[in-house]
Amino acid sequence: MSDPTDLLVQFSNALVARAAAANNAVAAIRLGHGRHVTGMVWRSGVVVASEQALPRREEFELVAPGGSVVTAKIAGRDSSTNIAILKPAESIAAPTIVAGEAQTGSVALAVGADGTGGASARLGLVNLSGPEWHSSRGGLIDRRIVLDIRLAGREEGGPVFDTAGACLGMSTFGPRGQVIVIPAATIERIVPQLAKDGRIARGWLGVALQAVAVPDALRESADQSSGLMVMSVVENGPAAQAGIVAGDIILSVDGTPAHRFRRIARHFGSDSIGRKADIRLIRGGAVMTVQTTIAERQAA
Amino acid sequence: MSEAATRLEPRERLRVAVHGVDALRRAALGRMVAEAGHVVVGPKDIADVVLADGDAPPGEVRPVVTLGGADDSLSALLPRDADPSQIDAAIRAVAAGLIVRLPVTRETGFGAMRETEGHALLTPRELEVLAALAEGMTNKAIARRLDISLHTVKFHVESLFRKLGARTRTEAVAKASERRHRETIIL
Repeated sequence: MSDPTDLLVQFSNALVARAAAANNAVAAIRLGHGRHVTGMVWRSGVVVASEQALPRREEFELVAPGGSVVTAKIAGRDSSTNIAILKPAESIAAPTIVAGEAQTGSVALAVGADGTGGASARLGLVNLSGPEWHSSRGGLIDRRIVLDIRLAGREEGGPVFDTAGACLGMSTFGPRGQVIVIPAATIERIVPQLAKDGRIARGWLGVALQAVAVPDALRESADQSSGLMVMSVVENGPAAQAGIVAGDIILSVDGTPAHRFRRIARHFGSDSIGRKADIRLIRGGAVMTVQTTIAERQAA
Repeated sequence: MSEAATRLEPRERLRVAVHGVDALRRAALGRMVAEAGHVVVGPKDIADVVLADGDAPPGEVRPVVTLGGADDSLSALLPRDADPSQIDAAIRAVAAGLIVRLPVTRETGFGAMRETEGHALLTPRELEVLAALAEGMTNKAIARRLDISLHTVKFHVESLFRKLGARTRTEAVAKASERRHRETIIL
């Protein structure tokens, strides 16, 4: 009855085909009380999920594509990039996932798990595709991708596709219910490390810091207008061992000014562990330099 | 006493216990509750409602309004940055036996690191003045504590208001506490 040459019919049929093809890429992760969130079947035996959506539990039940129920263990989680991976007891066949690049204004299809082995679909636009950004937990996200799609809580963690069928990444909730995408590039970067170690190793000094303005009298000797004030020091941590105390204002780490945290964040990646770092700081009205050895941050 | 406090009939005034680990934040919430016209009582005193910054104390049986807590069994779940009118409304609602939830299921989400622009950063001295404000100290008392002139204290308070976008001392303390919570970096 429907006219096969009608563009809208073709558009709709194409979406139906895409949603059907995406079914193999989604698994429901049961949370109990009849609730679930979505996991993305990323590789055979690896299900990727939104870290913030998963309770702190070791094991979950998954509803695989088609409806079979398998148990899966958490194999790693990283709150800084909001990525968790689960390893199902029985391998779930993964579809071929091709990473795509999000473009502002392009059509996006977000797919979730319906909880019984099927898929649910949402259509919208890539509202914004921007440069890399740092999360509040300090993780580097390769692109800023915002969708104009509304998502149910159970659909969080599912794949988002472009019209060519390439995967832009994993859907998740940003602040105030905004739907954002953790880019495929970030997932590709983080998943192998998570699979290997169960976490993303990061450097640690053992301090809580707050950005402050450098007092006028010290601006000249400090040669910058702001720094990071030490609010508290973890007992026996690397900073404490180096004699750093609350009230010190950190000006730079190995020469990189500390007036913006994102600038010094890259000094504390996994490769920083065990390295010596020169910290320039203000204490009692004088500028001085102390040396610390960066340790590994323990899981939160 | 604030305008709201004088407007309230005694029977509309509720006894509110404020719970929280951070003293600055607890002080800010206490002032907020008092300005809404309620009576702030000690944590162990008889209270109609408990206002908790984050998770409620274990075993709490009184109605709890949590700011940023996640325990779904609590009477009211508000975001950490709920404004004073929302907190007041939630306190009244739970005292009347209602439960309070936000319309969206997830008020917080995976977001970007927020950093205050350079011109709005506080100086160490301003942070000291702020801590004194949180304790409810007068300008005179602050001048005495920090051993500076009254004129200098006023100058710092004005600067704090401008940098924090606040109009009252309570608002300044609340905004600074919120900023500190959001922007403290663990390294």
